[in-house]
Amino acid sequence: MAVAGTLNHRRSGLSRLFEAYGQEFVVLGAIVALFVIVGAVNPRFLGDNNLINIFSGNAYIAVAAIGMSLVIITGHIDVSVGSLIGVLATIAGTLAVQGYPVWVAWTVPVLVGVAINTFVGALVAYARIPSIVVTLGMLSILKGGLISVTGGTWITDMPPEFFIAQKRLFGIPAPVYFMVILTMLMAFWMHYASLGRAIYAVGGNPEAARASGLYPERVCVLAFAMHGFFAGIAALLFATQLQVIQSTVPPNLELTVITASVIGGVSILGGTGTVIGSTLAAILFACISSALVFLNVSAYWLRAVLGLLILATVLADMTRRRRHRAAGRL
Amino acid sequence: MSRYLLRHEAILAVLLALALAVLAMQSDRFFTVENLLNQGRLMAEVGLVALAMTFVIVSAGIDLSVGSILGLVAILLGVFWQKLGMPLPLAMVLGIVVGGLAGLVNGIIITRFRVPPLIATLATLALYRGLAEGISQARSVRGYPEWFFVLGQGEVLGVPTQLWIFLVCAVAAAVVLGMSTFGRATYATGANIVAARFSGIPVDRTILLIYTASGLIAGLAAIIFVSRVSTTRSDMGTGLELDVITAVVLGGTSIFGGRGTIIGTLLGLILMQALKNGLALAGVKGDGTIVVIGLILIATIIISNLVRRDTDG
Amino acid sequence: MSALIELSGISKSFANVRVLQDISFDVRAGEVHALVGENGAGKSTLIKIMGGVHRADAGEMRVDGEAANFTSPRAAATKGIAVVHQELLLFPDLSVAENIFMGHALRAKWGGLDWPQMRERARALLDRLQSQHIDVDARVGALSVANRQRVEIARALSQDARVLIMDEPTASLVEEDVQQLLSIVRMLREKGVGIVYVSHKLPEIFALADRVTVLRDGARVGTAAIGELDERKLVSMMVGRPIDQLFPKRDTSIGAPLLELRKLGFGGVVRDVSLTLRAGEILGIAGLIGSGRTETALTIFGITPATSGEILVDGKAVSIHSPQQARDLGIAYVPEDRGLQGLVRPQSIQENVSLTVLKTLAKGGLIDHRKEERLARESIAKFGIRARGPRQIVKQLSGGNQQKVVLAKWLATEPRILIMDEPTRGIDVGAKSEIHALMSALAARGLGILMISSELPEVLGMSDRVLVMKNGTLVAEFDRADATAEAVGAAMTLANASGEAA
Repeated sequence: MAVAGTLNHRRSGLSRLFEAYGQEFVVLGAIVALFVIVGAVNPRFLGDNNLINIFSGNAYIAVAAIGMSLVIITGHIDVSVGSLIGVLATIAGTLAVQGYPVWVAWTVPVLVGVAINTFVGALVAYARIPSIVVTLGMLSILKGGLISVTGGTWITDMPPEFFIAQKRLFGIPAPVYFMVILTMLMAFWMHYASLGRAIYAVGGNPEAARASGLYPERVCVLAFAMHGFFAGIAALLFATQLQVIQSTVPPNLELTVITASVIGGVSILGGTGTVIGSTLAAILFACISSALVFLNVSAYWLRAVLGLLILATVLADMTRRRRHRAAGRL
Repeated sequence: MSRYLLRHEAILAVLLALALAVLAMQSDRFFTVENLLNQGRLMAEVGLVALAMTFVIVSAGIDLSVGSILGLVAILLGVFWQKLGMPLPLAMVLGIVVGGLAGLVNGIIITRFRVPPLIATLATLALYRGLAEGISQARSVRGYPEWFFVLGQGEVLGVPTQLWIFLVCAVAAAVVLGMSTFGRATYATGANIVAARFSGIPVDRTILLIYTASGLIAGLAAIIFVSRVSTTRSDMGTGLELDVITAVVLGGTSIFGGRGTIIGTLLGLILMQALKNGLALAGVKGDGTIVVIGLILIATIIISNLVRRDTDG
Repeated sequence: MSALIELSGISKSFANVRVLQDISFDVRAGEVHALVGENGAGKSTLIKIMGGVHRADAGEMRVDGEAANFTSPRAAATKGIAVVHQELLLFPDLSVAENIFMGHALRAKWGGLDWPQMRERARALLDRLQSQHIDVDARVGALSVANRQRVEIARALSQDARVLIMDEPTASLVEEDVQQLLSIVRMLREKGVGIVYVSHKLPEIFALADRVTVLRDGARVGTAAIGELDERKLVSMMVGRPIDQLFPKRDTSIGAPLLELRKLGFGGVVRDVSLTLRAGEILGIAGLIGSGRTETALTIFGITPATSGEILVDGKAVSIHSPQQARDLGIAYVPEDRGLQGLVRPQSIQENVSLTVLKTLAKGGLIDHRKEERLARESIAKFGIRARGPRQIVKQLSGGNQQKVVLAKWLATEPRILIMDEPTRGIDVGAKSEIHALMSALAARGLGILMISSELPEVLGMSDRVLVMKNGTLVAEFDRADATAEAVGAAMTLANASGEAA
């Protein structure tokens, strides 16, 4: 065992960086490889317009995945985020159509998202119901509630200043700024704030966290509340990227968001992962979808290819992790 | 353990009785033989998959891919029969076999590569649905022969065919889970997989079998589904996994594994279906019932948690 | 010298069960005060009250002479009281430095966490503990148990602990690490830290403690300076009765070979292990953790099937690739980690006992529940398991009774070869001698027992022959007559000294 310690000591900074951020590098590598290969086959893939579309059209998934990562790192899961985003987007659109000031239409959904998920977090932390059960219930409630209230109609005629996702700064669409800035802020917060570290601590070992003077229940509620905030932002980006909002739940959105977190290196068992990884993974998915179009693959095969890639990444990750564990036991 | 389960099932039974009473008062069309049998018909597909899901969750796993397997098998049924010109009975059998293979693949990913079931089946959920979409190219298959509809639209002795199939499967599942060595291996695996392995339980084989059975039964449900709605589409069974898991968890099966019963799952299923139907009859629109189911799910777990905490002190 | 912490008249109940009654206890600066007692005597509750996890119902606690009433572990920590938990409450995925400062992280001027300073101070703290080899950036999950423990001690020191409470710190350490830990404890004592030392291992207590307090059934039996006690006296204070024979080993007639290993190997962990186990024999295997003793057992039992060499049962070569095969050959394995590997704790005694013999209890795949219950009742009677009945949940039983359930479930398979890995770890003195008597009786009935143990007295007291393992292979063999603590200990530690130098 002393030997393992010495080995650790001698390792170079680079290999340490790779060990700590292995999955992020894998995803980044996959993105780069995709650009090189697809770009070679069809140069239009690398065109400004396409790249901007890829990034801005999927930024809301990356933003939602930030919150999902927080929840998963804390050791929980949320399968209701897709429904929540659907509900919040509808609220935003409805407020805008009914003539409320734009800032109301922007802030109310975010606040509602925080409120709903704070409640969910409290059920998980204090009523001790497994998060998958609570959020499964919330999924039904939000989805059913949304459709029975709105009937799934289209919302149109929002005032032009409402469409925040269509605004540009220096030629780059606003969603890209949201994605990049929020990711960096959160990455920073999770590294340098004691509450950010508490999220890792509670997810890694709740008992030890309690013995260290942290309050696992409060940290859990905080993670869910922040997740609600990010779901709110994601809903705004989602609601304002097109001229219309369909007041239903975007199909399979929760799975895309969870998958982005997990592929980005967030361990489903809690305690590890970063939001940089989840954002990279969200970008990777968007690139894959777009690449298939440029490679002339029928859109109907899109999901199969995506599924296969997810599976391949998961298997590669498990193998890498097992090696890592074996090394730890040395 | 058994005492906890009894308590949970008792709470559920009381809830069910209450719901039935309220629903019967709301509408006189609810408590008719015709309506009840029809509800049984509608429940059969979710019910079949929930039986296998009970094993999956008791073994501390989860299978999110069942809806996608259902869609894939439905599409393949049409392709085998119409495009490849197979006899329909052969296409049905082959379809179910493919369902079993899809489940086996889940099992292999979980046991060989040690991928957590949630992640493994999340990935195959996308993969299997993708295959269904890719193979079908969004074209539906219709025009099945008349005899085929016996399965999904016919009756045997006045009871819907698929309800018979479901009942037979339910009894078999209850016996296997509650009384057989395989059932005991499932509980032990779910409660402590390491101790089960050290006790000479073939853990990996048990898990493989459970996921394969889950795939097989999703395939069977697909055939019944196609027979009931007379057509094949690639989006069939979307969201099925959530209905199924809700029914199983509502029935008292611990999401962490190690405990749960088929009786509980049956109660959960009936409660869900009764609510859907009763609320529809009472004029609540289809999606409103989903809200009630979500509320009931959360409420049941809270109540049973409270009761447990009181008695365990 | 005045007391750093002083408790008087402390009482505590849980759900109307009195766990502690009128306990007085104190720790002075620069002393090691041992706290001993059987499991359930109330030691951990007392520790938790001092550490701020629980609050006493009655009584008074003074820190530096001032009344104190901790509402949380953090409140205790700010008063300089830190606990090194038995289960090592650490975060496996986080770095060593972060583990040390979790909950009281250092901040930079701008308000964020000051990582460079935390790493630097973590380095200094570990160096103070003679742990230069631990990398502050390493993941704690990748460290050995002994190193994790040092991280936890460093954690306590980082909060300027003046009272350090150590809950069975050597329970999962091997002899060599134990010696290093003891020297760290002595060093801390020298610096004026007051240490509460909880342990089941009497030799350590005599080697280390200045005073000893004995608890029994929630009451204090007495406090004495170590010089006033000897081992026999201490045990009788703990148990409440004198134990006449610590190791009731009977002489048995040793029969034909049951199990033979010929150059058995698994990966690099088990190398060329050859041994013969005979009927009626207790064969002890001593060695450090990682020396390959548990790994050898796992290979025999088919958990990690052999990659080279031969296993012979009754002189016939067999291949064992799964525990099922091992069981069918008459091999049973009572594993090292009772809670994880031995028992399905949320299930009943009945379900646990029958788990190994489900097939023989079943007809056509269905379990005969009456037969199953009869088996459980017989086991409870035969092994003296103290339980309400066959349907009692296993996790409600004491450690000793849980171990008896593990034994019962494996003896239900009617094995002829019994491998016991740490058969009495974490079990109190009374239950220990019951298990030893049982082993002796089983050997007398003709079973061959392969016993792996970290406790030298147990190995010496129970074995007919003693084998010593090192680096995955056997390095020494002693007959019962020649197996002295010095000889066996030397074989283990000498072997290790050369390994450590590498």
